[in-house]
Amino acid sequence: MEDTEPELPPSPSVSSSPSLSLPSTPSSCGPPQAVTPPLCVISEAAGELSLVIDAEVAQRACQEVLQKVKLTQVDGDGGDLQNGAGPETPAPLAVKPLKIREESDDPEGPAPGSVKSARRRQRHNPSKQSWLLRLFESKLFDVSMAISYLHNSKEPGVQAYIGNRLFSFLHEEVDFYLPQLLNMYIHMDEDVGDAIKPYVVHRCRQSISFSLQCAWLLGAYSSDMHISTQRHSRGTKLRKLILSDELKPAGPRARRDPLTLTPFCPVASPSAGPGPLGGEHGLSPSKRTHQRSKSDATVSISLSSNLKRTASNPKVASSQDEPVRLAPQREFIKSLMGIGKRLATLPTKEQKTQRLISELSLLNHKLPARVWLPTAAFDHHVVRVPHTQAVVLNSKDKAPYLIYVEVLECENFETSSIPIRIPENRIRSTRSVENLPDCGMTADQRAGSFSTVPNYDNDDEAWSVDDIGELQVELPEIHTNSCDNISQFSVDSITSLESKEPVFIAAGDIRRRLSEQLAVAPTTFKRDPEDPSAVALKEPWEEKVRRIREGSPYGHLPNWRLLSVIVKCGDDLRQELLAFQVLQQLKSIWEQERMPLWIKPYKILVLSSDSGMIEPVMNAVSLHQVKKQSQLSLLDYFLQEHGAPTTEAYLSAQRNFVQSCAGYSLICYLLQVKDRHNGNILLDAEGHIIHIDFGFILSSSPKNLGFETSAFKLTTEFVDVSSDG
Amino acid sequence: MSQVEKKAGLLRRTSSSKKPLKEKVVLMYDEIFAKEDPAKNNPRFWDELFLMKVNLEYLESKLESVDGEEVQRIQDNINSLFHHCVQALGEEHQIKVVNALQTLCALFRGVHQKNKSASGFDIINMLMGFDKAEQRMKDLMERLDSLLCGDGSESLKSLCLKLLLCLVTVTDNISQNTILEYVMINSIFEAILQILSDVSSRGQHGYDSVVLLALLVNYRKYESVNPYIVKLSIVDDEPTLDGMGMVVHHALTEYNRQYKDKEEENQGGFFSTLTSMVGSMFIADADEKLSVQTNEAILLALYEAVHLNRNFITVLAQSHPEMDIPTTPTTPTPTAPTTPLGTTPPSLDMMNNPELPLDPNLQTSNLLITFLKYASIVMQDTKDEHRLNSARLCLIILTCIAEDQYADAFLHDDNMNFRVNLHRMPMRHRKKAVDKNIPSRPLVCAVLDLMVEFIVTHMMKDFPMDLYLRCVQIIHKLLCYQKKCRIRLHYTWRELWSALINLLKFLLSNETTLLAKHNIFHLALLVVNLFNMFITYGDTFLPTSNSYDELYYEIVRMHQVFDNLYCMVLRVSTNVGQWKEPASKVTHSLVNVRAIINHFNPKIESYAAVNHISQLSEEQVLEVVRSNYDTLTLKLQDGLDQFERYSEQPKEAAFFKELVRSISLNVRKNVSLNTLSQDVLLKEFSTIS
Repeated sequence: MEDTEPELPPSPSVSSSPSLSLPSTPSSCGPPQAVTPPLCVISEAAGELSLVIDAEVAQRACQEVLQKVKLTQVDGDGGDLQNGAGPETPAPLAVKPLKIREESDDPEGPAPGSVKSARRRQRHNPSKQSWLLRLFESKLFDVSMAISYLHNSKEPGVQAYIGNRLFSFLHEEVDFYLPQLLNMYIHMDEDVGDAIKPYVVHRCRQSISFSLQCAWLLGAYSSDMHISTQRHSRGTKLRKLILSDELKPAGPRARRDPLTLTPFCPVASPSAGPGPLGGEHGLSPSKRTHQRSKSDATVSISLSSNLKRTASNPKVASSQDEPVRLAPQREFIKSLMGIGKRLATLPTKEQKTQRLISELSLLNHKLPARVWLPTAAFDHHVVRVPHTQAVVLNSKDKAPYLIYVEVLECENFETSSIPIRIPENRIRSTRSVENLPDCGMTADQRAGSFSTVPNYDNDDEAWSVDDIGELQVELPEIHTNSCDNISQFSVDSITSLESKEPVFIAAGDIRRRLSEQLAVAPTTFKRDPEDPSAVALKEPWEEKVRRIREGSPYGHLPNWRLLSVIVKCGDDLRQELLAFQVLQQLKSIWEQERMPLWIKPYKILVLSSDSGMIEPVMNAVSLHQVKKQSQLSLLDYFLQEHGAPTTEAYLSAQRNFVQSCAGYSLICYLLQVKDRHNGNILLDAEGHIIHIDFGFILSSSPKNLGFETSAFKLTTEFVDVSSDG
Repeated sequence: MSQVEKKAGLLRRTSSSKKPLKEKVVLMYDEIFAKEDPAKNNPRFWDELFLMKVNLEYLESKLESVDGEEVQRIQDNINSLFHHCVQALGEEHQIKVVNALQTLCALFRGVHQKNKSASGFDIINMLMGFDKAEQRMKDLMERLDSLLCGDGSESLKSLCLKLLLCLVTVTDNISQNTILEYVMINSIFEAILQILSDVSSRGQHGYDSVVLLALLVNYRKYESVNPYIVKLSIVDDEPTLDGMGMVVHHALTEYNRQYKDKEEENQGGFFSTLTSMVGSMFIADADEKLSVQTNEAILLALYEAVHLNRNFITVLAQSHPEMDIPTTPTTPTPTAPTTPLGTTPPSLDMMNNPELPLDPNLQTSNLLITFLKYASIVMQDTKDEHRLNSARLCLIILTCIAEDQYADAFLHDDNMNFRVNLHRMPMRHRKKAVDKNIPSRPLVCAVLDLMVEFIVTHMMKDFPMDLYLRCVQIIHKLLCYQKKCRIRLHYTWRELWSALINLLKFLLSNETTLLAKHNIFHLALLVVNLFNMFITYGDTFLPTSNSYDELYYEIVRMHQVFDNLYCMVLRVSTNVGQWKEPASKVTHSLVNVRAIINHFNPKIESYAAVNHISQLSEEQVLEVVRSNYDTLTLKLQDGLDQFERYSEQPKEAAFFKELVRSISLNVRKNVSLNTLSQDVLLKEFSTIS
């Protein structure tokens, strides 16, 4: 199904062919037709014929339905339409594009059908309605508007239209509003739910990650409801449906078929569009759409059961061979959450850290697997968790923790093959070059050449001859490669072997080198068992990536990447997610307006009402940690980190500080963010501050602190850093 | 079945009370030892035999009593008995299998005890007959393999392992056990691995399996290609290796726990002393000795795994959350099925005891930590032969670990911090366990602590020279790694320096007595070279600039030791004798230390004179040191950062031969007839069938 996207280009030409309106947005209008019909086709074929979906059959069915609809439209009677829709399920589906057309007609021809306009006048000012339609068709109409109209409009036609229109938006754009979409699905009336469902189901079919995303959010947003309500069961039902893994693409064949279908469908649907009298069903739209989507829902369910049934059928047996789609990732997430829960029971940070490390090392045994981090921006497989790098974050009674995750980037995590496991200790030889950088051979080559060496030798002693011994063999060779940075280190004893005459060194030089090297090292924080995350977070990301890469058996692979994620267990992140959305929105607005403001919205993944994951902010430590570790004022810390006030580095850090401070002050003011202590404000390596923890926004406050008088946090220290001189 | 049981029980009781009345089975044994084929008169003889409860003592003594000529006559019958035993192993009737296993045990033992001097071939001939031996052993091993791997009774599996242990340890010198040649050909390695990889079977048979494996690996280790060595070295299945590690871990933990209990007992008040006295009358002493001995076997297994299998190194650092469950009873994690350690003689139910007196600092543990603790206990007292062997083996294992790059990496991993409570010997001049609250540090600190502890506590007349050499070499290897990888370990190096200087002092003051037995110059050279490492390469691995100053301070402070050492080696090297060359090497190695002393001493003296201070404070000395570096020139010495790699073959072979011999004896003793007791099995099978 995802292949429909590439097929889209032909659609504009198609949509422009009929005498349709679509003046401004051929491309945005094309897709809905392009995508929706296959959906109908699939559900129809499965529901009625209980067959494998065949391209030809689907195509024909689609055509037929549209033709029928067209006819009824020409007849121009709402009653007819109803009749047509009644007996077979797909009809209402097909009506939808038609209805859309009908509405979109308005801006062009002034209300052709008198009946329709009459109907409409009953509820709306016609001109207003037409403006609305015009808006829907316009280029400016985006997901954000769609969501708000979906939420505000009581008009089932509008809701249904938007439900269909969702198909035309880019996936990423809709995904941003997924929380709202699903919330509406759960909490609003049936019409809205019915309008949304086809899209959700469709996307679930396409993508595992979307399925899980939905399931998690549905679970999280349903959790507060009373069990009794039917709506509640709707959200849970959909969740169950998704988790039952029945919304999978119908086998590789069927999967490809929509591909061939797509070019045809748009031809059909616009032709249905201009039907002048489609507006008829404005009369009883609620009933109609209700019917439609009801049937749709049943279809999708029966489809899945069909799939099940046919699974025993050799025809679709191939789909049976596929491993359960969602299971690995769910297990992965579950075990991460399990770790968090167990950590919370331990009393000290130190114990937590050790337990975390040991738990993660066991987790490593099950990797690589078809699992991924949902917060990442690219497709990948998780291959290893460098367990010793994980840290427990500061929290009073919960145990959030930060893990680094080694992944291999891939084309598509659903279809690309899972990387082969490489045992932990294969890294030895790469480690040997760890601190002798850029010397001739790269670490990759070394690892490559090493891995070809057989594991054992018949010679009794051969298998232990490696490691440091090997290191020493390498050394002279490295030395002849003579990289400059060797010379600044101690002269190796081997040189003296070669030269055969005594080499003298000044004790002062040794002492000087020692203090120089210690000074050159980037400022690090001291290890504090009570605050293990400070050191880990202070280490520059590039440095960390390099270090972990060298220590990893997978590090030599070109598509190796390092990701990190904070696992929160026992915390409700739904509000954080909302805050993220607001921040993101504001950020893009500010960017559009070229405001010199800087904020860093960090991604949130809600897994349930009390667990989730957070994308960590790179190279940032909390102000609390800065102050505790450095024992300096913020200004002095800036001077220490970035240099004298006149230097380029300092000035840009200062600028970053001011821009971020301004940005977050606005955020704090607008969102009424509370609980702004230094532990909740990060400072990154470039001087930006980043506010985290949006647990108390708008009217909610920490229990003991009912009010916070300041509109935002701007301490004198902040002012000191911001001001010149 | 119950009938048989009753009968067996009845018979046993009678046989114990009234000697003259012979059991049926004994009569049947007698028939076997007669000339004629026992099956001639009774075609169902063999069937019946294996339904009888085995009388191991009788059978063994009978076999022993057979003398040379008789052997020839009854050989056919014994061959036949062996043959039928092997066949009975395939029986569905579990009782028959049990009896056959036990009979085999008795056969192997009896024949060997009789023929201590006889060559292996004679034994094989007597048991199986030359022509059929290969086939018989193949059948036997295959049957055992399928019994071990099948999902039959656990007790049966346990008995299979006992039989194998019995077979392996039947000779004092494992390499002289010719029958093992067949065990080499028909490998049961895979069965052992399978047992180790599964959690529940590991719990029950892990100990026996690991010991068996360790012994098998040592069969003709140096003479031929031992397939078990080859196979062990290439295992890379993590659950299996982990399982092996767990078994070792449990055994060592158990030992540590017992030691701790005992120690606390001893430290307790009068009452507890009294009770422990009373208690020790019954168990304590024997128990402890026993546990030391068995742990040698487990230690050997650990050594073989570390030495042969490069993948096993990862297991060392693998910490198992479930291991520390007893320490954190609040943890709601479902306890992994923990089973008693099979036949480990001191197998107390360590996992079932909720009130373990474990230190509150103990957290997630791993094999390496447990091993270090174990080593710290064993090293305390090296007078006992077994303990000495254990300590030596511990140091050898540490040597292997220190040489391994991956192990070094996690030893030095700054993110893997642990509190390791090493046991420290109570000594007159220091209080015991002052440091209950040791900080959490990288594991290498614990290794260094252990080495320092050893150095400090073993300067005695009966000088354990080879242990000292290993100890200093381990430190050297760790330093080499740190230098190479530029790891600045935050360790109180001062403790190491003063320990090393004290060692030199001891060598000097006991020169004559020590020289009679040892080459003290070699050790002195190693120690001085450690200082040379710090002096010339300190910039690459010392944690702070101050630590370099402190090094100089320490050397200058203890300059007398170095002066005396220099005088001594100079004296020896100018004389003609066997020590001339080694001593002169030490002379050369001292050049930098002497340069430092000669450079700073006058400076310090003049500083004191100028400022009219009789006794300079440390800070003042450091000040002098800091300000006078630039006029000091050092000589770069060759090969400071190079070391001889550990190799078992020529040097350690004798040690391992002896060790395996002592382990064999021990295991043989412990696979006693009692542990082969049938009662439990009979009960089990009577309910099954």
